[in-house]
Amino acid sequence: MVKVILDNITKRFDDFAALKGVTLEITDKEFMALLGPSGSGKSTLLYTIAGIYRPTSGRIYFDDRDVTDVPPKDRNVGLVFQNWALYPHMKVFDNIAFPLELRKFPKEEIAKKVKEVAEMLRIETLLNRYPWQLSGGQQQRVAIARALVKEPDVLLLDEPLSNLDALLRLEVRAELKRLQKELGITAVYVTHDQAEALAMADRIAVIKEGEILQVGDPDEVYYKPKYRFVGGFLGSPPMNFLDAEVQDPYLDVYGNRILIPIQYRELVKKLGVRKVILGFRPHDAEVVRGVAEGLVGTVYSFEPLGREQIVTVSVNGASLKVFAPEGEHFTFGEQVTVKLREDRIILFDKKTEKALEFLEE
Amino acid sequence: MKDVETRPKRYERVIILALLLASLPLILGFSLLTISSLSTNMVTNLDPDSFHSTLENWINLFKGKIATTGGIRVNIWRITLNTLVVALGVAGVVTGISALAGYSLSRIDFRGRKILMVLLLILHAFPGVALIVGVYLLYRLTFPQSHDLVGLYSFIYVILARAALEIPMSIWLMKGFFDTIPWEFEWSGIIDGASRITVWRKIMLPLIKPGVLAVALFAFLAGWQDIIYVRTFLIHPTLATFIEANIEAEYSHMPLIAAAGTVYLLPTIIFFITAQQLLLQSYSGGIKG
Repeated sequence: MVKVILDNITKRFDDFAALKGVTLEITDKEFMALLGPSGSGKSTLLYTIAGIYRPTSGRIYFDDRDVTDVPPKDRNVGLVFQNWALYPHMKVFDNIAFPLELRKFPKEEIAKKVKEVAEMLRIETLLNRYPWQLSGGQQQRVAIARALVKEPDVLLLDEPLSNLDALLRLEVRAELKRLQKELGITAVYVTHDQAEALAMADRIAVIKEGEILQVGDPDEVYYKPKYRFVGGFLGSPPMNFLDAEVQDPYLDVYGNRILIPIQYRELVKKLGVRKVILGFRPHDAEVVRGVAEGLVGTVYSFEPLGREQIVTVSVNGASLKVFAPEGEHFTFGEQVTVKLREDRIILFDKKTEKALEFLEE
Repeated sequence: MKDVETRPKRYERVIILALLLASLPLILGFSLLTISSLSTNMVTNLDPDSFHSTLENWINLFKGKIATTGGIRVNIWRITLNTLVVALGVAGVVTGISALAGYSLSRIDFRGRKILMVLLLILHAFPGVALIVGVYLLYRLTFPQSHDLVGLYSFIYVILARAALEIPMSIWLMKGFFDTIPWEFEWSGIIDGASRITVWRKIMLPLIKPGVLAVALFAFLAGWQDIIYVRTFLIHPTLATFIEANIEAEYSHMPLIAAAGTVYLLPTIIFFITAQQLLLQSYSGGIKG
């Protein structure tokens, strides 16, 4: 149970900069998700915390202890790998006992601890089997048990759910979150699945190309994205983005005029920006038939998904997705108007793709 | 494992026939040798009439009588033991060194790693015969003064020299096996608190067990079959040198030599029957799907 502090971490592999000055503080008992697309450096960051990689520059602290040059075994971290890395030639019991055996625990104590952690993860009946005799979900529990048995200060998880099928993933997601809270263990969770990050984490760090774009609780990163990338990476379907031009007090959006949202009026004046990107989430707009005040376009596609129905609307060549009201069906080519919920609109600077309210940071 | 079930069957018979024809000389040779060992005359003239079945060759072989007339006696058990010592020695040395070196080349980033790998390949390209003069010089230089030590010395020397020929390729093979193991297994062990040598012994070696066995078997056969190095350095005979020494001798009874040849062949035959299973066997690992 420690606080993890990453102070300006960079990591270079030959000519490739995997991490470019990452600074992040993970508080004690926090569940931190590192969210980013593949190749963003999120796993590299995790392995740097574990001590497998040594940062090219920057320091890592566990509480007040500088662990930058400490080898992995002396950091007391538990790591669950994406492929779980269970030792196939050892039975489940020996897999879980392995870290304790290396620490020369007495035999009875090993047996006791393994039993405890196995019961916690409900795998106590599987201890005599080999990993290949287990289902994916069971193997995953074994991997978590092995990481937890040595009572680590920090639990590191590298996309542990990505090898499970969709239904099981939902189940384990809820369980894992519960487990982390019950144990009160500091956890860092790497994922490329935005839903997983939103569902499980106390805070999310969104990473792109080796830089942290935004850190915040799930609501913050979801509703107040700092960058266009963050808005476009979270949510399913993600945020809509439309190029717009400021014509005070209006925005020209592909030939449609809408009022500049109240919260942005002064800011737009102050910053004097002309070209912006208008962003809004699919559930923060309403689609009505015919021509009205808003963004007028035609139905490009319509996807009923049970309770939610997605309408793809083409507005003078720009495409956007909106949730349609339950039970209402649209036909292809139909003329519709998309009405935006003004207070949920986010404006981004066209050049830096940064939200206007953060532009001066 | 399953093949594509819709693969074209048209040329299958032709291919099987071609393979059969290609291996015919070998099968024929092996068969004639074995049959001759059970006959009073050699049957290498392919005449069925010359076959008169007898077990006498085998009985005489194990009694150590290598000629039907005269009293020349050899201890075939001792010779087989010599062969076994050389073969096991070579297998042990090769497996031990190449398992460690292969791991290092596959997993540890040290200076000169690339150059070492290229050098190993070059070493492998040298035929053993080309090196024998130099190796013999070294043999003479380190030859023991004491008479009692000569036997032991020659065993150790031939094992090390023969193993050295096998090691470069074995290291490459072993490196290849280690390369197939995902890094996560190793990282997992290191995070769990294992040293590199523990990771090697407790995690990596069991994972490449089929590979280790394959390398060990190839090395064993190399030692078992070798004739040039054994002939040059070993004071005592092995099966190979025994057969070679007696094959043209006037007193030799050829069907008996054929029996010795069959014994000499045995490990090779056993190996190639069992090895297919062994080489195909591999761990599926902890990953599903």
